[in-house]
Amino acid sequence: MHIIDIDLLHLASGYLLLLLPLGILLWLRVPILNQTLLAMVRMTVQLAFVGFYLQFIFDLNNHWLTAAWVIVMILVADFSIIRGCQLRMRRVVGPLFLALAIGTAIPLLYFVAFLLRGENALHAQYIIPLSGLILGNCLRADIIGLRTLYTDLKKYEKNFESTLAQGASLQETLRPFIRDACEAALTPTIAATATIGLVALPGVMTGVILGGGDPMVAIKYQIAIMIAIFTGSAITVVMAIYLTVRRNFSPGGVLNRDTFATTKVGNSTPR
Amino acid sequence: MQKPALEIEHLSLNLAHQQILADFNLCLPQGEKITLIGRSGCGKSTLLRCILGFIVPDAGTIKIFGRHLTGQSSWELRARMAYVAQEPELNSGTVQANLAEVFAFRNNRHLSKNLTQVPQLLERLLLPHNILQKETAALSGGEKQRIAIMVALLLEREILLLDEVTSALDQRAKDAVIGILRRLEHISILAIGHEQDWIKFADHVVDMSEPQGETTCTSST
Repeated sequence: MHIIDIDLLHLASGYLLLLLPLGILLWLRVPILNQTLLAMVRMTVQLAFVGFYLQFIFDLNNHWLTAAWVIVMILVADFSIIRGCQLRMRRVVGPLFLALAIGTAIPLLYFVAFLLRGENALHAQYIIPLSGLILGNCLRADIIGLRTLYTDLKKYEKNFESTLAQGASLQETLRPFIRDACEAALTPTIAATATIGLVALPGVMTGVILGGGDPMVAIKYQIAIMIAIFTGSAITVVMAIYLTVRRNFSPGGVLNRDTFATTKVGNSTPR
Repeated sequence: MQKPALEIEHLSLNLAHQQILADFNLCLPQGEKITLIGRSGCGKSTLLRCILGFIVPDAGTIKIFGRHLTGQSSWELRARMAYVAQEPELNSGTVQANLAEVFAFRNNRHLSKNLTQVPQLLERLLLPHNILQKETAALSGGEKQRIAIMVALLLEREILLLDEVTSALDQRAKDAVIGILRRLEHISILAIGHEQDWIKFADHVVDMSEPQGETTCTSST
């Protein structure tokens, strides 16, 4: 079975469908009309660009170019997380890149070496979409995890200091904060894993089916990708937390004020 | 000659473009008790946070038992001090669980035998025994203060830093707390407290609203 291609003219007419939700927004005076229009334009431009670029990369199928594209994806994820958590770039950009790279590489290796195998497994057609899927989920988990951690550390500063004053080490003091951050970061992935297939058909499975694949093949891909997503998310969250924590605490165990991009507080870090 | 428990020289600190401490000096000989007084915002609580290494001063030095307080040394030096805040932060869970947590820290494990003194201390602090089973969220401000004082006493530290720790207590409970602290002959105490009880309690009273001159740390015995 071949996939039915969508005619560009018909796709363009699909934008008319948007008149319905936009009309509702206008009627209810919901103040998100501009954002909606901007989001639609961005989505179209971004996907068009990615479509052309991926076509180019798939045709070339050069391992170096594929690797470079994955690195670009990691960098974009890295910057998005930092912006999403309102953290200062220079303190977390390196550790976060490492966490994302390792968190993506391990499940990707599982796919390439154990599931797909063979020469085709390294084809850009597999590496790029799989990396994107894993990274996208790592990004979401990292934003929740890091934001929870650093917001809580700021919010519960007195608790933190009180524990340190009782003689606890930095690791002992951080433990409950890290536990809460990991829980917050991974709970959505666990919930999505537990309800998969019941609420909606997952993306990978839908993609394989639309691409003409058997539902049984689609399910195998989906199971493997869910395992990869959870593994990648867990690895990056834990690594991102531990690696950034090392850079954001003073030798005396106090959170550096310049960890946050927006905070403008003067002195407060022990030597 | 014994080294002073705490020696502060020419300490200055600005926070958010505001001068909090200016050339502040203080000497706390071993076993002595000092009460800090002064108008609100004159830096009393901030000084305690500096001594704990949570805030780095812009200038000046802090020595604890002769050792300079730095980021590296603060870990070791904190283990010789106990700090009780005016509004102590207790973790969620029961009082008993909170106590167990404190004595599970690697630095404090060897002191866990002191937990046998809890029933006796509860009585001396006029607290009921069943408070151990109470959730910390259900404690009153005064109960929290006394639980935090009890933890500080059980930790057997050489220096106690107390920040208005009887502000939520009635006179009877206040007398009980000050009575216990007064009997700690070998413990050095730096306390913030405005009431007469704290002024009477101290060997020396330091008014932080007034400029502090040089202090020579002549040790007691």
